[in-house]
Amino acid sequence: MTHDHSSRRQFLKLLGAGAGAAAASRLDAPAAGTQASGPVKIGVLTIRAGVAAPVGAAGLRATEWWAERVNNAGGILGRPIQLVVEEESNPKDTVERFRKLVLQDQVEVVLGGISTGVTLALGPVAEDLGTPWLSWDGTTQRGVEETMPNPKWAFKSVDNEVEAIVAGILTPKYFKGIKTVAGIGNDYSYGHDCWESYQAVLRRYVPDVKFVLELFPKLGVTDFTSHIAAIQQSKADLLMCSFWSGDATIIMKQAAAVGLFKTMKGVFTTAGGVHDSLKKEFTPEGLLLGYNTMYFDDPKGSALLKQFVREYKAKYNEYPPYECDHAFFNAESYKVAVEKAAGPAKKWPEKARVVKALEGLEIESLSGKRSWREDHVQMCNFYQGITTHKNAYDFVTIGPLEVVSTKQAMKPAGSKLFEWIAGWKV
Amino acid sequence: MVAAGLQVVFGVQKIFNLACGSFYALGAYVGVSAVGWYVGAGGPPALFIVPLALAGLAVGAVGIVVERGLLRFVYDRDETFQLLMTFAIVLMMEDAIRLTWGTAPRSTAGLYLAYGQVQLLGATAPVYNLIVIAASLAIALAIGWLLARTAFGRIIRATADNREMAEALGVDMRRVYAEVFTLGTALGTLGGALVIPTTAAMSEMGIELIVEAFAVVVIGGLGSMRGAFGGALVVGVLRAIAISVYPELEMLLIYLIVIAVLAARPRGLFGGAAA
Repeated sequence: MTHDHSSRRQFLKLLGAGAGAAAASRLDAPAAGTQASGPVKIGVLTIRAGVAAPVGAAGLRATEWWAERVNNAGGILGRPIQLVVEEESNPKDTVERFRKLVLQDQVEVVLGGISTGVTLALGPVAEDLGTPWLSWDGTTQRGVEETMPNPKWAFKSVDNEVEAIVAGILTPKYFKGIKTVAGIGNDYSYGHDCWESYQAVLRRYVPDVKFVLELFPKLGVTDFTSHIAAIQQSKADLLMCSFWSGDATIIMKQAAAVGLFKTMKGVFTTAGGVHDSLKKEFTPEGLLLGYNTMYFDDPKGSALLKQFVREYKAKYNEYPPYECDHAFFNAESYKVAVEKAAGPAKKWPEKARVVKALEGLEIESLSGKRSWREDHVQMCNFYQGITTHKNAYDFVTIGPLEVVSTKQAMKPAGSKLFEWIAGWKV
Repeated sequence: MVAAGLQVVFGVQKIFNLACGSFYALGAYVGVSAVGWYVGAGGPPALFIVPLALAGLAVGAVGIVVERGLLRFVYDRDETFQLLMTFAIVLMMEDAIRLTWGTAPRSTAGLYLAYGQVQLLGATAPVYNLIVIAASLAIALAIGWLLARTAFGRIIRATADNREMAEALGVDMRRVYAEVFTLGTALGTLGGALVIPTTAAMSEMGIELIVEAFAVVVIGGLGSMRGAFGGALVVGVLRAIAISVYPELEMLLIYLIVIAVLAARPRGLFGGAAA
């Protein structure tokens, strides 16, 4: 069952099954069985409204795909999966729903969390309630620095600024002779952090680079005509843009309308999140475009990725964005950790043993191998490349494709971001 | 245009219609669908503006439904009720849009550039933008003509000036209200439809716009059509200047102007006695 609204009949059936199982366990083995029978309840938090709603939808779709797949193969240790879906909105309400999932629905684990504004608040709650929480896309960073270096129950996404760092590493490789750079990002932590990180990295490779303009329109703006005029006036060699939602499509369109990229290079660190809206008519070739942690069209992609892309396209008529991979990795790593912690006896493990099993665990995700670092941060690859029109779609894809690991582009546990970048040997 | 719709409705019905932003969003989504259908049916891309504008106008009919079905019950209530009612419409429309079109941004692909670009004063401008500017001017002139020269316009102005007197003279207030609200709605939906090729439709675009339209109206003067036009020009130009001179000021600037206008000319730049 993968829907958030299970029907009354299903509910009654479950209730019956649960009561039956409880009765059976009372007769047979009072201590062992009660918790480990019936479906495994898994809480899912996802964004339903606002600019990030498509991101939330992608994460949920991948989680449902995973649950269906696991259930078809017999569940986790023989128990079917039941998803309990709640909405991620503002921090206060989301914390309440997190508590509800744990205390009322009694889920084994909570998956999800996209906005770091929200997940910063969820981290301490997960620690407090003693239930594993695996975050899709949200971290517990304030700005670019970690606030929970030694969590027990909270498992966090990759650091937000990694894609800007990857773009900073790739910029000098593809755009030689860049002297001046303009930047545009959303006016909140992510936009500012990406811009700061990108500048810090690029300065290491091109010491005399000048940053001539920075613009921070607020999230949700749909008209960038004036911003583009200002970018044109700045006469920068290159524009760096960290937009990730519909505004990435809009600025691309409005930039094409005035021919911006005829004279300027472009780096879009995160626009791969809305990749299938970047139509060829207005998205030029030759831009650096980031797809975060999964590239749907990876020529070296696994059979699992190809199957997922095919079924996602068939069901939703879209090509999946990276959030799917975050969500799949979280869910699948939880399953593998449970099985590992269960040991040869296949007895359902305590929550504390599951989180221990997660630490350092590496599994096969949609995008390839992904793992949990010992301090509960996701390790994975980032996919970026140069836009091309040579494909069978009506939108751009990337080639050549660059794959950069978080081992190279994410600050190590316990380090300060800018000190770490300053210490690079380039 | 949205500001003009807001003005028409406020001037006559004295309702500050927050839902104007939702009508704008609705127009945008319907515009995307209409163009998608038109291109899918094999229509020549060069004429895409025709189904776009028609769809924008047609969906303005939702105004009658909202007016007859909801708003007419709160005319005699306190302004707070009316504001709450229109805000409720904003929330409902946003969800209705999400249900119908989903949460992903929708856009009309590359049609924006179907009319090509021209060089103007050393800058490249897409022809479509010029068409929209021309269309907006034409609509502004048409509304001006409608209000100043026709019997319908005279009735509207009379109602705006003195509702009881107009009613005493035999004006069917129910009809005028329905017509005016539909006109205001159609201005919003048409505005949304026309702007959509240049951008992408997002479900929360309505709320984004309300604040701006509100600022435009306050600067221009509540209930004044010239005010809507002047206010929109002031806000648009000053924002563009702010972004290129001192970007941090962009958002703040609009509110500073609103404060300045409210302090110096509480009726707005163009607000006469009628407002």
